[in-house]
Amino acid sequence: MLIDINTYIGHWPFRQLRNNTAAGLLPKMDEYGIDMAAVSSLNAVFYKDTQEGNRELIEEIQVNKAQDRFIPFAVINPKYSAWEKDLIYCVENMGMKGLELYPYYHRYALTEPESVELVKLAGKMNIPVHLPCSIVNVRQRHWMDTNDNLKYDQVEKLLALCPDTDFIISNGPSHMIARQLKKVSKERKGRVYYDFARLDVFVLRAPTSAFNALVQDAGIDHIVFGSVLPFQYADPQFVRLTYAGLSEEDMDKVTSGNLKKLFQL
Amino acid sequence: MIDYTKKLREEKMKLFKENKVVNWHEHVWDDDDGKFDAQQSDLLVESARRAYMDVLVCSLPVSGGSPDPDVIRRKNNIIAEAVDRHPNIIKGMAFVNPGYSREAVAEIERCVNELGMIGIKLYNQYFISDPVLHPVIEKCIELDIPILEHAGKQMSLPIDQPFISDGTHFAKVAEKYPEAVIIMAHIGGGGDWQWSLKAIADCPNIYTDISGSVYDEGIIEQTVSYLGAERVLFGTDGSFSQGIGKILAANISEKDKIEILNNTRFSRYLERGAY
Repeated sequence: MLIDINTYIGHWPFRQLRNNTAAGLLPKMDEYGIDMAAVSSLNAVFYKDTQEGNRELIEEIQVNKAQDRFIPFAVINPKYSAWEKDLIYCVENMGMKGLELYPYYHRYALTEPESVELVKLAGKMNIPVHLPCSIVNVRQRHWMDTNDNLKYDQVEKLLALCPDTDFIISNGPSHMIARQLKKVSKERKGRVYYDFARLDVFVLRAPTSAFNALVQDAGIDHIVFGSVLPFQYADPQFVRLTYAGLSEEDMDKVTSGNLKKLFQL
Repeated sequence: MIDYTKKLREEKMKLFKENKVVNWHEHVWDDDDGKFDAQQSDLLVESARRAYMDVLVCSLPVSGGSPDPDVIRRKNNIIAEAVDRHPNIIKGMAFVNPGYSREAVAEIERCVNELGMIGIKLYNQYFISDPVLHPVIEKCIELDIPILEHAGKQMSLPIDQPFISDGTHFAKVAEKYPEAVIIMAHIGGGGDWQWSLKAIADCPNIYTDISGSVYDEGIIEQTVSYLGAERVLFGTDGSFSQGIGKILAANISEKDKIEILNNTRFSRYLERGAY
């Protein structure tokens, strides 16, 4: 079984995307053997009121009768009014399974009081918080797109301030982030998961690969698969799985076991 | 549900296993003492063999400042050591600083004629369209060797490489020197790749390599659409998983993939050099 932690549905204003609808994404998931995918709304990232995008996402999943394939995450901006009500509605009425934050688009710090309250609420509701390090690589950003990525120092502080909440950190230099967060992660009850979408499994320069460095610092029980479909080709993720040298047991954890535990599937 | 990892391992990687694979963009490095890091080169070669790569074209550029000729000679001597250590797989490219025009031309001659290197690598010391490069380009034309130039349309701020060449600079030099063979480096590591592809689309002597850590969906299809597979080279530049994966994923013909993995327009360069 393969569960993907990082996919999107919706319009991207800065480059033409293919397969960015539920109807387009589902055949790609079939092609790659992805049984289930955590998904969020790109529209929600760009609408002033993120809740409109969250609603669109759920409607699209329902229209495509794909509730058993997608694990929807709510995009919430803690600096916009009624964020608390919105998150509760997303989880209790729309069946959303996680919270996704974009501080570098919505222009706030993760350490601001509203951010901390929102993340604590997610912990109380027993849903994980997904922090993508970026949506696209800023080196090639559109001139109107954000110039920022996730700020890891803020994440470190947030983890300490919200010790019970589970986190997923994706699409960034996970091995370096895991090293930075290693100490704080050990001091808290909530779990921290990382994907490996930007890491190489081949040893080219350092004594070990970036992927192995992630395994050493995060532990195999905290590594998950994220494709970043439809933004990126999925094949590089499978090259990584092919050449990572994982045991069958560890492969099961990375491809589905760890997320099954997180989502209680 | 399909096991795509198994499919990739058992079926898709046949593309690499059954065809010649020439990686036109890799590096070997010096250690903290400025000596050849032989262990790093061994790791690189071991990884390349695991991924069925047959040739690694390597350079050792200086990425900051304006290095003087003595520094550059030491760097190129390290490349020669790497070729000596792994003669069956590593080919060398000489790095030069066009700002030291006379010395740069002499270094190209030394590296090609004495050390068996097969091309030159330029970094971001000058735009490739800067007239200061003319003697270097003319020497490469005379020796019939390719030029691999670090490239990118930098979009993230602040701009930390003010003289990095993007596609428009390559288009200018193509007009001035249509007989030169120039590779616009790492389409997957040079910022706005669509900008640069559009700029060089009509420049038949400007090539690109697919290296870099970026593997945006569609990047290979658009590269082939703008340039044709015959103007595209396989490369990794420190990102093996990404380089292999994007070629496997691309929705282009098998024939085009094979051409990219071993671009036949560049075969003659590989016949030269130290092995």
